[in-house]
Amino acid sequence: MKKAILYINQFFGQIGGEDKAGIEPEIHEEHIGPALQFAKTLHAEITHTVICGDNYMGTNTDAAVETILGMLKDKEFDIFLAGPAFQAGRYGVACGTICKAVKEEFHVPVVTSMNEENPGVDMFKKEMYILQGGNIASKMRKDVTAMVNVANKILDGLPVGSASEDGYFPRGIRHMVWLKDKKPASERMVDMLVKKLNGLPFETELPIPKLDRVPIAPAVKDLTKAKIALLNTGGIVPVDNPDRIQSASATRWGRYDIADTTALKGGEYKTIHAGFDPAAADADPNVITPVDALKVLEKEGFFGRLHPYFYTTVGTGTTEAEARRMAREIVPYLEEDQVDACIMVST
Amino acid sequence: MRLEIGNFYVKDIVFGESLSFKNGILTVNKEKALDFIREDRRITEAELYIAKPGDRIRICPVKEAIEPRARLDGRSIFPGYTGDLAKAGSGVTYALKNCSVLVAGRHWGGFQDGVIDMSGEGQKYTYFGGLNNIVLVADTNEEFERYEQQKKNDALRRAGHRLAEWIGSCLRGLTPEETEIYELESIIRRDPETEKLPSVVYVMQPQSQMEEMGYNDLVYGWDTNHMVPTVMHPNEILDGAIVSGSFMPVSSKWSTYDMQNCPNIKALYREHGKTINFLGVITSNLNVALEQKERAAIFVAQIATLLGADGAVVAEEGYGNPDADFVGCIVALEDAGIKTVGITNECTGRDGQSQPLVTLDEKCDAIVSCGNVSEMIELPPMETVLGELEALARDGLSGGWAHDEVLGPSVREDGSIIMENNSMFCGDQVCGWSPKTMKEF
Repeated sequence: MKKAILYINQFFGQIGGEDKAGIEPEIHEEHIGPALQFAKTLHAEITHTVICGDNYMGTNTDAAVETILGMLKDKEFDIFLAGPAFQAGRYGVACGTICKAVKEEFHVPVVTSMNEENPGVDMFKKEMYILQGGNIASKMRKDVTAMVNVANKILDGLPVGSASEDGYFPRGIRHMVWLKDKKPASERMVDMLVKKLNGLPFETELPIPKLDRVPIAPAVKDLTKAKIALLNTGGIVPVDNPDRIQSASATRWGRYDIADTTALKGGEYKTIHAGFDPAAADADPNVITPVDALKVLEKEGFFGRLHPYFYTTVGTGTTEAEARRMAREIVPYLEEDQVDACIMVST
Repeated sequence: MRLEIGNFYVKDIVFGESLSFKNGILTVNKEKALDFIREDRRITEAELYIAKPGDRIRICPVKEAIEPRARLDGRSIFPGYTGDLAKAGSGVTYALKNCSVLVAGRHWGGFQDGVIDMSGEGQKYTYFGGLNNIVLVADTNEEFERYEQQKKNDALRRAGHRLAEWIGSCLRGLTPEETEIYELESIIRRDPETEKLPSVVYVMQPQSQMEEMGYNDLVYGWDTNHMVPTVMHPNEILDGAIVSGSFMPVSSKWSTYDMQNCPNIKALYREHGKTINFLGVITSNLNVALEQKERAAIFVAQIATLLGADGAVVAEEGYGNPDADFVGCIVALEDAGIKTVGITNECTGRDGQSQPLVTLDEKCDAIVSCGNVSEMIELPPMETVLGELEALARDGLSGGWAHDEVLGPSVREDGSIIMENNSMFCGDQVCGWSPKTMKEF
């Protein structure tokens, strides 16, 4: 029989409530709390239950993850389950955190469950199956059943259904499927058209994601005193690409010292962007990151001062979520140097 | 305008003494057919095959599909292309149903050519895997494009259209099993009951991206790159006014067969007088320059407004760059107060994680999705290959590759293949056949 390990918090681990939320990770061989419910229908034996306090996981995340990964190192398991976490925010984030770490370390499938209001959903839904769970613990049986349904498909080597069929949060993955009723597109079109014309509800087959528009910042009042930073998604890096930024679907960024540079030279800098012909940018990287012109303008007093680093990632195929994370990592450097405005070069 | 399509259902195809259709059996004299094809001196090598559903046959590189038909008045079935220019869309046309003429390269393929499987797991990916096909496999002396990734395929495609007309001629003098009638009167003179219904236009965006002539879809023989949007009667399209081109990853293409049978048009016809007032077709295009796209969207929205459309359906033949025309056109129509439904394929990547269209707009709130061009497909070897399977890997077909560090070549030594849906011949079926959709995982 295949084997499973379950992660739960101190409350469902029957150790205690808020007063015990600081406990360090423990591992038990017996079925504790929700493990009993999982064991009834799961196509695997639950060999261990891991319990960790939500506060401990939240405040000592690295240590908690390291300890748990250490506990699992010598265990054999085919699937890792966490929760259900309902609407409990810290618990949800803990489930997501440990599932992500286990998946990356041991390459086993992971399944968890959270309520849509749980902040863990947005943080982790692209990384794993998070079942759309209830808001309170009385939904335990229902949520466990939904988790087991998906877990069993994975354990049995069967394809997991679509997000709507199997009740998990869409992971940002869209695939082609054959409709069971084979209804041709022309007939689906007519149905949708007639409903739309008559003001009846209809369901699009391609939901357009809500665009996250950022308001344009107010103009810089006095450019001659402003500190300006230069950023780009055009992939301009030192020729050895020291930060190993990917040429597409980037998750990495770098910053490069230009305090004593009057212009970027071809041969010293290049683009690693895979989405356009690199010849012009390789020959003269200033066409994307115009360090040459900015240095002249700085000297002429057109603006106050140039921030001594430029920042680079690659835009092609890069997801909005990764872009947002990278921006959050870059912003503190800009704030620290009291940058007033940025030039963001896209390609 | 009234068009009668007399249908003759093909149950089987055989080679025999003389060209005839009797009791559902289409008999083709192979030698005579090949002699007719060889009248075009550019054809250097030609052979005919029969490929029916269930046959252990894989066809590649497929270039075109055409429904064999005959016009009783002697007019060409593709006016301005296989014959003299004449108006299409009225009178009587006879058609061999469940049947198509397929054209495949004997050796050479390209970006715009594809694969058809007649049985097994691969059969469901194309509409033509379910039809009785007469397959012309041929080569030409078109040396200038032999090794080009983009091929006009002019000699082969014309051979297919001429062969479809030649075969269709056997229907003269016969009585059809059934007759479909397509009749749509002037937009402003409809019966009062129909006029009470919400009025709808079908906005068709046929492929027109190539600046050089010879690749794009043709309207009455005219290159669609050279037109601005215009109003057409749906019957014209059902009666051979539009001929498919030779550009675009092939899964998103509409073959001439798809034009002749356009399910979207037929579906709107079926609703006409019941739930909608089907005004007609606005034929637009997919030219590449932004100004051309904006101009086309202005034309479409203006024409639809002037015609008094309450609703519109927009369908694009392509993806990537054409997504800008598709989305732009829907937005222009919605901005004009016209409730619009779009039909498209998506390109979400092999892992399904890419943005589905190159541009998106929240005004596109009603989309019918027909599939993912980049879905990975792995298929076992097939007993018989018509054409040259190696073309899928060698010749730059949009869903094939010669080499991949992880996946190996698209065509393996044992004849099994690994490819993207991109190379399934007219597989996305945005013209309306598609039984597929896209789901979130």
